[in-house]
Amino acid sequence: MSLLLEIKKLKRTGFFPAFLIGAILVACFPIINTAVRPENFINQNLPALDILMNANWQMIAMLNMFFLVIGSCIIYHTEFADHAMQKMEALPQSIGKLFINKTLILIGSIIFALIIEAASFIFCAYYWFNTDNSFLPDILKYFGYEFILLIPAALLIMIIASLCQNMWISLGIGVIGVFIATMLPTDNLILSFFPFAMPFQTLNNAIDNSWISPFLISSGIQTILFSIIEVCILKVRRNIA
Amino acid sequence: MVNMIETKNLTKIYSDFTAVSNLNLNIKKGRIYGFLGPNGAGKSTTMKMFLGLTKPTSGSFQIDGMSYPNDRMRVLRKIGSFIESPAFYGNLSGEENLDIIRKILGLPKSSVSDSLKTVGLYEHRKRLAKKYSLGMKQRLGLAGALLGHPPILILDEPTNGLDPAGIHEIRTLIRSLPHKYDCTVLVSSHLLSEIELMADDIGILNHGRLLFEGTLSELKQYAKDSGLPIDNLEDTFLAMIEEDNLKRGSKR
Repeated sequence: MSLLLEIKKLKRTGFFPAFLIGAILVACFPIINTAVRPENFINQNLPALDILMNANWQMIAMLNMFFLVIGSCIIYHTEFADHAMQKMEALPQSIGKLFINKTLILIGSIIFALIIEAASFIFCAYYWFNTDNSFLPDILKYFGYEFILLIPAALLIMIIASLCQNMWISLGIGVIGVFIATMLPTDNLILSFFPFAMPFQTLNNAIDNSWISPFLISSGIQTILFSIIEVCILKVRRNIA
Repeated sequence: MVNMIETKNLTKIYSDFTAVSNLNLNIKKGRIYGFLGPNGAGKSTTMKMFLGLTKPTSGSFQIDGMSYPNDRMRVLRKIGSFIESPAFYGNLSGEENLDIIRKILGLPKSSVSDSLKTVGLYEHRKRLAKKYSLGMKQRLGLAGALLGHPPILILDEPTNGLDPAGIHEIRTLIRSLPHKYDCTVLVSSHLLSEIELMADDIGILNHGRLLFEGTLSELKQYAKDSGLPIDNLEDTFLAMIEEDNLKRGSKR
């Protein structure tokens, strides 16, 4: 019920069209990339999914991160722009639940984007690489892994957006975070634990370096940590208000 | 008469600034309590404490026998509020804004149109709230507070931004609320002339301290006894504030 209310609040904000159009445009990237230079990819002696991931994922991950940043800004801007948050805080409801529902909307939207992106990978694999159906379970694993690595970033950017009443501040912090993540080397395990950098990791890279568990554990720890931080923020905020 | 809201030495201190100091209010059930004070006197801070938006530094308060933080949800269910500036979702229409509040409060659908009609916004219900004039935004905020006819209404300067006709209309509406819906109203203003026409009881606040609490006739008597001007209540109020400011100044 309260999740539906949060969805309703996003009416006319451009949030859902932005995710839909953005996801379709991102999904076009691997198709165009492969279409303009197929010889660069189809002759490689690697599984189709690994080739597609190596060729496209850095760009897709960056755009997904921008989706998260922009999405979180839109979600909280509706609350802060005309002081609606103040009214919400004076109603008999939990502000913690409000945060959870908003985060679920952001995560749900990024799942939607990942599904469209996965569909474009499937198209590329069938069209240019003539793969069989054994490719499908792998793509689920690959994109499932990417989704798990995106959760801490989604939580962190939501915390930032919930703290900044001025949308431009949270947008600025988010954009800086994404650019820092793009500058970090993906082959350095410790640096790759930066929440905004984790989504740039691919499953094939993690398998090659035996990094699957460290990243999954890091994602789990960061998710718990950011959740605890949000609970503390909610308590402190009320006490110092 | 039973007190609906009661505070005991309620204090709020922000680092080096005391917004509310040892406040003892007694707001009686079914009455309109006018909370009067100049800007920065601590009226909004007190109201925010009642709504759990800010935590008291010391002291306590009870609302209908309940207290924070234990009864937060129950207390908020009983209060309709309008604090400082109108709060709304600009991307939603007036009706959609109220529908969100209605769903949170678990009220029937008809309560939204009832409330919109009460504040005179029904014809503009489909228009986006961001396109409302200041007066209409003010009315929308008031409609949100009135939704479901809560037994307690906390209204912070509800006539701000309204034209004279709108002020009169809202004043008449507030005046009628205890009789119509059997509710208690706490309404703040920095204008005594405003409060004089609405309130049964008055509390005068200056620099966080309560200077006077009682009925209008008690205020007149108090002013007479203290040698303050009584011909015009606005002058009485100003003289009280000035006297208190002078006392505070000499203390420093």
